[in-house]
Amino acid sequence: MKAVGARLPRYDGVGHATGRTVYVDDVRVNGMLHVKALRSPYHHAAIKRLDTSRAEQMPGVAAIVTHADVPLLVYGHLSALGIPADEPLLGKEDVRYKGQPIAVVAAEDTDAAQAAVDAIDIEFEELPALFDMRKAFDADAPQIHHWGTIYPHFEGEMNVRQIRKGNVEQAFEQADRIIQGVYRPAAIEQMPLETQVGLSVPEPDGRFTIYSCTQALYFSMGVVAAHLQMPLNKFKFVGGTVGGGFGGKVDTATETLCTLLAQKSGRPVKWRWTREEEFLCSSTRAPWHMEIIDGVTSDGWILGRKMLTLHDSGGYARFSPYGVTKHSFHHTGAYTIPNLHFDGYVCFTNRVPTSAMRGYGVTSVSFAVETHMSRIAEELGVDPYELRLKNANRIGDTSPNGIRYMDPSTVDVLHAIAGATDTELAAPYSDATREMRSGEWLPGHLVGQLSHSEDH
Amino acid sequence: MNIVVNGNNRTVESPPLTPLLHVLREELDVLSPKAGCENGGCGACTVLVDGTPRRSCLTAVGSVPDAQVTTVEGLGAPESMSDVQQAFVHYCAAQCGFCTPGMIIAATAYLEGGGSADRAEISEALAGHVCRCTGYLKILDAVAAARDGGFDLSTTAESPHTTVLT
Repeated sequence: MKAVGARLPRYDGVGHATGRTVYVDDVRVNGMLHVKALRSPYHHAAIKRLDTSRAEQMPGVAAIVTHADVPLLVYGHLSALGIPADEPLLGKEDVRYKGQPIAVVAAEDTDAAQAAVDAIDIEFEELPALFDMRKAFDADAPQIHHWGTIYPHFEGEMNVRQIRKGNVEQAFEQADRIIQGVYRPAAIEQMPLETQVGLSVPEPDGRFTIYSCTQALYFSMGVVAAHLQMPLNKFKFVGGTVGGGFGGKVDTATETLCTLLAQKSGRPVKWRWTREEEFLCSSTRAPWHMEIIDGVTSDGWILGRKMLTLHDSGGYARFSPYGVTKHSFHHTGAYTIPNLHFDGYVCFTNRVPTSAMRGYGVTSVSFAVETHMSRIAEELGVDPYELRLKNANRIGDTSPNGIRYMDPSTVDVLHAIAGATDTELAAPYSDATREMRSGEWLPGHLVGQLSHSEDH
Repeated sequence: MNIVVNGNNRTVESPPLTPLLHVLREELDVLSPKAGCENGGCGACTVLVDGTPRRSCLTAVGSVPDAQVTTVEGLGAPESMSDVQQAFVHYCAAQCGFCTPGMIIAATAYLEGGGSADRAEISEALAGHVCRCTGYLKILDAVAAARDGGFDLSTTAESPHTTVLT
């Protein structure tokens, strides 16, 4: 336990400060090829013709990979959990977002690779695109995904992630006020300083050494192995040095295509995205649309919540069903509300697919919940600390999905914020604790949700 | 043409319009300047050219013949770090580390030019450098402290900006 509580130097600090840290783009191997991608110039289009024969004859070109070269073209980020896959590694019949890769070229340098990309013969038929997730519910919305515009595989075959707890209609009848709000955070690019980059080196024994900037090394290894239909022991992943990720390097962006190109050319292949590609083509945090309707008492108890969430998944599902599920578990924030009715949808649009970023699925709902709490306090004329401390999660309270809180920190955090901002709290709020509810902290509506330790 | 990189005479064969960043990384194997945006926007490629910080991605190598080019490798090795380098380690001012070479180069030029420990002035000096990890406060602490030097590298300093929740 020498490290706990001690102030230790960063293990990699000296390397960073002296320029010795080796990032993926700093790895040097002989005979390395460089990659450029043919990407969709359209938000939504059918691919009518794809012919790489002229590009293959271009000077310096070592290999070109299209959908026809991928042993397992469609593999999903959540396939290992039994969730159906929808995204091809390279566009085949159609493309569903601007920047979607269709073919990749490995050549002696990036200029030669780009010249060959420009020489690929491709014909598109542009199709109507959908950009507003709210319109995914319209009967005449453009059909942009083979599953429709709403992800249909929650709990097997449901198109919605639902939470039902208690009796929200009864709670609304008992409420003094109904307070509602709509919250719509926009997409955000994770923007690591190091763009997506990978290097795949074919070894003499048939294995591949893959230098990766991934945040999820074994996950990426599984994705590469699945697309190539090869066992995991054919891959050695070298990772751990990430030039910033923030969630954007959970998706496997470059490793699979580098390895297919390395396999086809027999040479090491590196692909470093430009900053423009990073902004235009890499996954972002999703735009969300959240509607909250709460039934509250005039003294600030929240009796029930109805919530509708739309999550913009972009052109493909990726991790979005997982993100919305996590979001649903957190849709009461740091507070206890016993009667809940939550519906969350994953909507497909022709935006770039969305994925993890710093608190995947939770940051969005935290923003909505905290803004809504302040709105309730303002509309009721109740002190915002008192509103929060009343409804704060305490030991024995249960989460939306029925988990008993063992170590909730809401009360302590609120007290710390009050202290740091010189805010005087009146009794009993100044003396609130996180211990199990009793007395004035246990109004009738919260009795039924309490869970005792012996229940778990 | 020739340039002097970290005190070593190097012959350059790349065409004169090649960005200095590309020459350093791909021809001369000097790897600390980073290709963050290659558009002059992020500062990760910054090097000293005759003592002045320059964006190596926007500097055509032909425009700096015989120049003295300094990167963080040239400021100090692990066993001989400069005060700025030591301060970055001591204050945990490098997190993922990708912006760090450019930050340290800019901070070094700022202090060698007589820059003060005033955080607003340091901010101004580092304004062209993007860091996505640290929130900048530890970087400001490190540069301010580097003026005085003397760090015990066996530990790390507590940032004056750190508020510990009780």
